[in-house]
Amino acid sequence: MSTRLRPARQWLITLPSLAWLGVFFVIPAVLVILTAFRPADLQGGVGPGWTLATLKEVQDPAYLPILWRTFWLSGATTLICLALALPVAFQMAHSGERMRQVLLLLVVIPFLSNFLIRVFAWKSLLHPEGPLTKLLIALHLIPENAVLLNHAGTVLLVLVYTQLPFAILPLYAAAEKFDFGLLDAARDLGAGPLSAFSKVFVPGVRRGILSAAVMVFVCCLGQYVIPQMVGGTGDEMLGSKIAQRVFSDRNLPHASALAGGLMLAVLLPMLVVVLWQQFGRKEAE
Amino acid sequence: MKRSRLPAVITCGVILFLFAPLGVLVVNSFNASRFGGEWEGFTWNWYEKLWAAGEVWESLWITLKIAVSASVAAMVLGTLAAYALHRFRSWLQDVHHMLITLPLVMPDILMGMSLLALFVLTGVETGLLTIWIAHVTFCLSFVTMVVLGRLQDFDFTLLDAARDLGATPAKAVRKVLLPLLLPGVLAGGLLAFTLSIDDYVITFFVSGPGTTTLPLRVASMMKTSRSLPVINALSTLLIASTFLFAALSSRLQRRA
Amino acid sequence: MDDFLVIDHVSKTFGTQRAVDDVSLTVAQGEAFSLLGPSGCGKTTLLRMIAGFERPDRGRILVGGQDITALPPELRPVNTVFQNYALFPHLSVWENVAFGLRMSRRPREEIRSGVDRMLELVRLSEHARKRPAQLSGGQRQRVAIARALVNRPQVLLLDEPLAALDLKLRQHMLMELNTLHEQVGTTFIYVTHDQGEAMSLSDRIAVMNVGKVEQVDTPENLYETPRSSFVASFIGDANFFTGVAVELQHEGYVRVQVEGLGSPLVLSHGTVVPNQTLRLMVRPEKISLTLSRPPSGERVNAFRGVVEDMAYFGSHTRYRIRAGEHSILAQLQRSRFSGGGIDPARGAEVWMSFHPDEGRVVRLEGDA
Repeated sequence: MSTRLRPARQWLITLPSLAWLGVFFVIPAVLVILTAFRPADLQGGVGPGWTLATLKEVQDPAYLPILWRTFWLSGATTLICLALALPVAFQMAHSGERMRQVLLLLVVIPFLSNFLIRVFAWKSLLHPEGPLTKLLIALHLIPENAVLLNHAGTVLLVLVYTQLPFAILPLYAAAEKFDFGLLDAARDLGAGPLSAFSKVFVPGVRRGILSAAVMVFVCCLGQYVIPQMVGGTGDEMLGSKIAQRVFSDRNLPHASALAGGLMLAVLLPMLVVVLWQQFGRKEAE
Repeated sequence: MKRSRLPAVITCGVILFLFAPLGVLVVNSFNASRFGGEWEGFTWNWYEKLWAAGEVWESLWITLKIAVSASVAAMVLGTLAAYALHRFRSWLQDVHHMLITLPLVMPDILMGMSLLALFVLTGVETGLLTIWIAHVTFCLSFVTMVVLGRLQDFDFTLLDAARDLGATPAKAVRKVLLPLLLPGVLAGGLLAFTLSIDDYVITFFVSGPGTTTLPLRVASMMKTSRSLPVINALSTLLIASTFLFAALSSRLQRRA
Repeated sequence: MDDFLVIDHVSKTFGTQRAVDDVSLTVAQGEAFSLLGPSGCGKTTLLRMIAGFERPDRGRILVGGQDITALPPELRPVNTVFQNYALFPHLSVWENVAFGLRMSRRPREEIRSGVDRMLELVRLSEHARKRPAQLSGGQRQRVAIARALVNRPQVLLLDEPLAALDLKLRQHMLMELNTLHEQVGTTFIYVTHDQGEAMSLSDRIAVMNVGKVEQVDTPENLYETPRSSFVASFIGDANFFTGVAVELQHEGYVRVQVEGLGSPLVLSHGTVVPNQTLRLMVRPEKISLTLSRPPSGERVNAFRGVVEDMAYFGSHTRYRIRAGEHSILAQLQRSRFSGGGIDPARGAEVWMSFHPDEGRVVRLEGDA
């Protein structure tokens, strides 16, 4: 390929996607941040002028439990997803070509089904008059009139359910590149299967673990449909509060301030990952 | 050497876990009982009710229109973006790359809200256009990633060979690069299509009156307990079509 | 036409690296010519400049009198057989070969007859409908050659043509390429790092090193009269000695005093000044081994040594012999008629001798 390319050509090819994302992604994000500094309009819009009042409003201590709940639910979901996804990724990468395709398909199909339907499926599965509840009562695992729905635990369960494929796929991608001969070497040196797994496999796929963890964690931070549908009134997450402020309270600046905070919470892990990768690259040099 | 059975067992468990709720839905769609607690006999009742529910099919039509047009736009923009990212190395592409990857990790609620803010502040009425714009925006990154993966496996000496044989750079792209890239582009398009059909949160923020996509319709149906069993029937149909799509997509991948 | 392909003072720099440094070459029409050298010597860059994928920073390239330096690859009367063949995977063998003709918009009949004829020439007619993925390595190479030749280029460039093939196939393709060259008559330019390949395929070879051409000559001349120690050691094996010129004789013979070897008489192509420090080269197979001292004479160079090591190769045996500071490589053909049938063991004392014509003065690297 000729090395003398007009720089115009690069700009021409990059411009369409760059412009689109600039207008429909960057500018809206900036707008949200700016809106946080404007007063609320009584009709649900944005009033004139600038103010720091909204920021003060948001520092309401009543938000703390919600923040805490959002973080610990996201963290717990991430940990559980990783714990389940690692063995699955291992099994997938370890299997033959045919089985691998089958497993991949099986993992991906529920993921492709409609999100709402999946949440709804759990809602009916855990219904007080549903089969699972009746089965668990019959097995004496839960008391007679227990309600499985509308519970922080339910939210966690459904979060794990929806996020699991997001954890499995990047881990599988990393596991595919893993040299399984290393496990044989570990066993040869006296490590048991569990030891080999935790001391050789897990560190070997740590890139995938990081991607999976960031994806799941960040995705959970912004969740609001799940807590709304299967959680109780006391199980709100940050996302549900933002939605409430936008649609019920029609308080855009307030919602924007919260959203801005969420944006920061999302960008921070990303920044950590980027720095970690840069650092890793410098180390390699 | 004895291999631990544990990963295989956990994998089976996880797969069961993933499919169980869907299985229950499918079973209950044929269940005469309203709440699915007990089996009260086989029935097509809910499917009949579904067939008669005109608003559901209207929503499906709207959803398909948006999904197809958004996928096409995302395929065009995404392919260009992937080509730029692969071919050029400069500060521009570093910025470009960051912009492309951010939507992948941005929570839906932030995307939906920021787009709503844009439309409100520029006075654009929410409706088909705004939904279309939103869908193209979040699908773009996915298509780019898929096509970029294909480009990284592409042997660029093929383009040199084409030029050596008399093709202008433009002809080389047309006759050699695009035909070989097409399966990847289509795979990206298919992914975009699936994401668009499935989207709820972002669409919720940017839709207007009269543009109730299928997920939005399903959500409102969930609020009225009368329609619950019909949702089972609808869900079953959607799950079946997902199966079909996945099979189609993997056939395409294998051909490529 | 003797100067059919002309490389005129061409230079190319990448960053701080001088890949090609003021190279000038001429190739005759119909010649089989090789650019030979180790990796990094600039041969591939030079090839890409002839093909049009790189632009020289300085200098011109002419084909048949036409200056093609500024032409893009698609307009040059040059075609390339790429190292990895670069066959279009989505097209059949037939369509691959037809590609160039389609690009020049030849009439349909011409395309059909051209492709069919070319496929017959490379004996792939029955595989015409197959895809490249269904062919073997050797077959793929023949498609690549056919695809290039069908366009009747004025120059055909072949980048490491035998590198990807296994040994048996390589020997077979060597002969095929020579046959093809004879049948087609086009000017062939090979790029290779394998001296054996270059010698079997070429009428003339340009040996390159760090961007410069060290010597352009026929394979025989390069082997027998290398003009620098780089060329001498890159082509075949060589023994090198350093000495001082003590006596100049007519017709280029020089007596050189070498520590530990006495004063052998050798041949020099350039002018030599008395007391000049010289570098000598003797090929291993030109050294004879005897157990007793050979009859002395003006034209006999003989000296003693002790056998250090040997390696048996079936058709010949190689010996490492120590003479003072020197560790000398000698090679004996195994037959009744050579070496007096001797078979010295390790530690044995032998006499080595070589004819003055086989001892060459070579330019030291860095000399003008």
